[in-house]
Amino acid sequence: MGMLAWVIMGLALWHFAIWLPDRFYGGIVGAFLASIVGGIVTGVLISAAAKGTAIPGRHATDLAVVLYAVPGALAGMALIYLYGAARERAEQRS
Amino acid sequence: MSERFRHAFVLTLVTVLVLVALLAVVGLPGVVKAPKTRLGLDLKGGTELIFKAHTLSGGPVSSSQLADTVNIMRSRGNTLGVSGIDIRPYGSDEITVSLPDVQNPVKAEQVVGVTGLLLFYDWEASVIAPSGQIAGPNDPAATCDGQSSVPAGAPSCAMTEYAAVVLASKRPAAHYPTMSSNAPSFYYVDDKKKAVYAPNGPEPTKAFLDADIALKHLKLPAGARLVEIKPGTVLVQATSAPEVPVPNAFYVLKDDVRLTGKDISNPQTTTDPINGVVVTFGFKNNGASVFQAITATLAHRGQNNSPPGATPNVQHFAVTLDGQLVTVPSIDFTQYPTGINASNGSEISGGFTFTTANQLSNVMASGALPVKLEELSAELLSATLGHQSLNQGLVAGLVGLALVVLFLLVFYRVLGAIAVTALAVYSLYFYALIKLIPVTLTLPGIAGLILTIGVAADANVVIFERVKEESRAGRSPLNAITAGYRRGFSAIVDANVVTFMAAFILFILSQSDVQGFALTLGMGVLVSLFTAVAATRAMLGTMGRTRAIRAPSALGVSKRRRSWSFDFMGSSRWFFTLSGTILLIGAVAIGARGVNFGIDFVSGTQVQATFQRPASVASVTSAINSLHLKSQGTSIGQPVVQQTSSTNKHAKRTYSYQIATKTLSVESIGAAGSRTNTLRGLLNARFGVLEWNQNSVGASFGKTVADSAAVAIIASLLAIFVYIALRFQWKYAVPVMIALMHDLLITAGVYALTGRQVTASTVAALLTILGYSMYDTIIVFDRVRENVQKMQNAAFSQIVNRSMSEVLTRSLATSLCTLLPILALLFFGGSTLKDFAFALLVGVASGAYSSIFIASPVLTHWKEREPVYRRRHARIASEHGGVVPAYATAGAAAREVVPADTRRRGRRLTQPTRPDGIVAASEFRQMVEELHTEPPRARPAPEPEPGPPSDPAADARPEDVVMPDERPQRPRGGAKSRPRRRGRRR
Repeated sequence: MGMLAWVIMGLALWHFAIWLPDRFYGGIVGAFLASIVGGIVTGVLISAAAKGTAIPGRHATDLAVVLYAVPGALAGMALIYLYGAARERAEQRS
Repeated sequence: MSERFRHAFVLTLVTVLVLVALLAVVGLPGVVKAPKTRLGLDLKGGTELIFKAHTLSGGPVSSSQLADTVNIMRSRGNTLGVSGIDIRPYGSDEITVSLPDVQNPVKAEQVVGVTGLLLFYDWEASVIAPSGQIAGPNDPAATCDGQSSVPAGAPSCAMTEYAAVVLASKRPAAHYPTMSSNAPSFYYVDDKKKAVYAPNGPEPTKAFLDADIALKHLKLPAGARLVEIKPGTVLVQATSAPEVPVPNAFYVLKDDVRLTGKDISNPQTTTDPINGVVVTFGFKNNGASVFQAITATLAHRGQNNSPPGATPNVQHFAVTLDGQLVTVPSIDFTQYPTGINASNGSEISGGFTFTTANQLSNVMASGALPVKLEELSAELLSATLGHQSLNQGLVAGLVGLALVVLFLLVFYRVLGAIAVTALAVYSLYFYALIKLIPVTLTLPGIAGLILTIGVAADANVVIFERVKEESRAGRSPLNAITAGYRRGFSAIVDANVVTFMAAFILFILSQSDVQGFALTLGMGVLVSLFTAVAATRAMLGTMGRTRAIRAPSALGVSKRRRSWSFDFMGSSRWFFTLSGTILLIGAVAIGARGVNFGIDFVSGTQVQATFQRPASVASVTSAINSLHLKSQGTSIGQPVVQQTSSTNKHAKRTYSYQIATKTLSVESIGAAGSRTNTLRGLLNARFGVLEWNQNSVGASFGKTVADSAAVAIIASLLAIFVYIALRFQWKYAVPVMIALMHDLLITAGVYALTGRQVTASTVAALLTILGYSMYDTIIVFDRVRENVQKMQNAAFSQIVNRSMSEVLTRSLATSLCTLLPILALLFFGGSTLKDFAFALLVGVASGAYSSIFIASPVLTHWKEREPVYRRRHARIASEHGGVVPAYATAGAAAREVVPADTRRRGRRLTQPTRPDGIVAASEFRQMVEELHTEPPRARPAPEPEPGPPSDPAADARPEDVVMPDERPQRPRGGAKSRPRRRGRRR
């Protein structure tokens, strides 16, 4: 259930990336993957640290668990954006 | 084959199939009998059990063991006269048992031999002679005990069933330390015909017996009377070999059980140098000492009743299994004067072959089966509620059909009438297939059937909208129909293939109920392709030159074209924000409220009960708590009791409740007429049970359901991805996947938010959403693919905006066509269908939305990063002051290319199709193409306004814009073309 919550959170946050200029590496699909994967990664890491279990089950998934995905999803998209913007600048220079 | 001949052939085929279908549905009086519609347990009531098989050694179950087990269970069901029993292996180690008409799960287990328990009786001391007295050691006529060549317990000494029942009913109640049953047994007997009426065997209550008779539609003769065999007396049926009962040959026994199969261990078939093939076995608990005591008793009695010099009067013990004699071995008092010391086990001998010895050892090992069966799920479905569900399903289906018919007639007029005819033909074919295959119709199956009504109508809507477009473009109705079918066909095939793939995967990977849904959905897709495309095409082709469709208005084409000028891509940010917000709420709901999984996933027992007398949540809960029920040795804790709505035609007011607890055994739940130490017995005593549905699911079964659902979803996604990648481009497949995720996760969020229960039916609905959401997206992408070739100077966002504006009406119409039957299910279906319809409603609405506002913008964003579209974007922006207009209405971008039609042409145009003789522009072009050798491959349309010269190659290399599945242009005419022949070859 924790995994489902993180994927939904990652997908939800990705929708707001449409407001940014399309400089993501891999475009909007790159941002999508970064958001989902980032959300899952921080979800697993924080959950393992806080709850002692990598993926919380049905009864262990609470509001806090859902929020574990937020930093990962945002960081994932930010990384992809910065990398994409850097590549774009490099291409323009060349 | 000419077009006219082809249409005639298809119409003849349709007519012949209609006649065959009518024969299958209604039959021909006196000649052909129509097969009965096979209804599932949820529609006619009964019991369904699911078992997991374990070998006696603990190793994996082999396929032959599973098959043997199923065969033994089937033969037991058949010999016990239970009709309609359906036992099937499922997966590698599971068995499903469906027993229509059986309303007692305990009995259902007995019927298939799962709980078959061996009982040991002292034969001579238990047999009741026809006089009503214990036969004893000196009544060989009653016991067949070795005074002749006839073995003890032989069928020849037994009584008829009627005689046995009457004899047993005269005996008073008696209680012994161990008995096969503490409950009485009820039968109906007809003294004139000397017949017994108990279609499912004796029942512990009159109510159960009456229910059995009603379900079998038996009519009792006028003189039939109810007889009760009181506890302490039992009937056993004579057998010719273990598990081979002899009809109408019964013994009456005193129910004084001396030993049970629970005390037996490790029975095996071996050979003994003296006795040949024997069955050896050991003992558990204090079985060995009990066995020695019994055999000592038998030995002493034999000795005492054998005068010197006379033939030894050996005594016997009888082994019975579920009311049948398995064997009646003797104890030789000369060999064992003080009984058999069984500390090292014992053996049964007596002319066994290896086969019969193996049968006996199997029976002793596991009751009756070569494997041990663990009950995963036991579901009891009320026949009354089943009929109610069937009626609700039929009403929902009819309402759904009526709504779709109305919609088609209002929007498409003559075309709509053709589509309605096709729908009627479709419904007839489908019903005939259900009878002929035969398909067991279940509630989810009915839902699938109703949904396919929408899908069948969708195919027509897609084509009709295309026909309307062609008509608005200036084609005559006949040409518009030809072009509409030709151009709409690929979208329909793609959409239906994807829906069929989802249904197929669902059928392969899911559990039984969901399989019924998948089967009807898959069949519906195939049949609808034939009726909605081939049949309607033939009908319209035949009607083409009639007055009925001579005017464009007959096609539902209005004079004023409805056009959408909305900037879909420009507004996509707002729709993304809307979706993101909904998903955020869904994620929060999952965290805060969780998802309410049904017992299919989390295991437990769920009872739907309707009471006659006033009840409240508190009183029902308190009643259950007073029972102190246990689940696998631990307390069930607090049951969850909820009030629900229900109707019962026999009662003015009823009180309905849903009770959920940890998994209870069928014995704890009890049956109708059970004592008040069971759940049903107590609630019946307190509140009067009118209706009762129960479902118990073990933990391992819930995991199996969840795992199979996850595998089915992942497999469907992969298959859909591959198909889209092959038919379109892999870049088209990714937005489709994202849109599907969006739909599934929004549905999950809505379920969490509303607290609705997620059941196995919800999983079926989710998988349908996968297929259906794709349907809509493919319709949109098909048009994008077409416009990419036409608009070789436009930005991708302009192409998508144009495509959207062209297909939005079509998309809305198809969604409405599917939503209408779903709404009918939601409002008129029973509770199961409503749950199903809710998931479909959310998913289909979300699917229609996401295909327009999620999948297409993602595709646009992604494709606009390609160099060719970047260059176009930059050029168009420079032409329009830095802004790319939403639609390509001016400048070079507006110039369209008419792609050469690589497909085989339809009818050759030789004269105007309009009665006034006016030739449409498109018809003129077609005539020119057909009369001359080489029309230009791509001709720019007339320029809408003066502008810079068009240069389609300015932005694109051919490989940038040509779709992979586009066939290479073969040059026509020219030096290398085949010379055309004129006239006949001589």
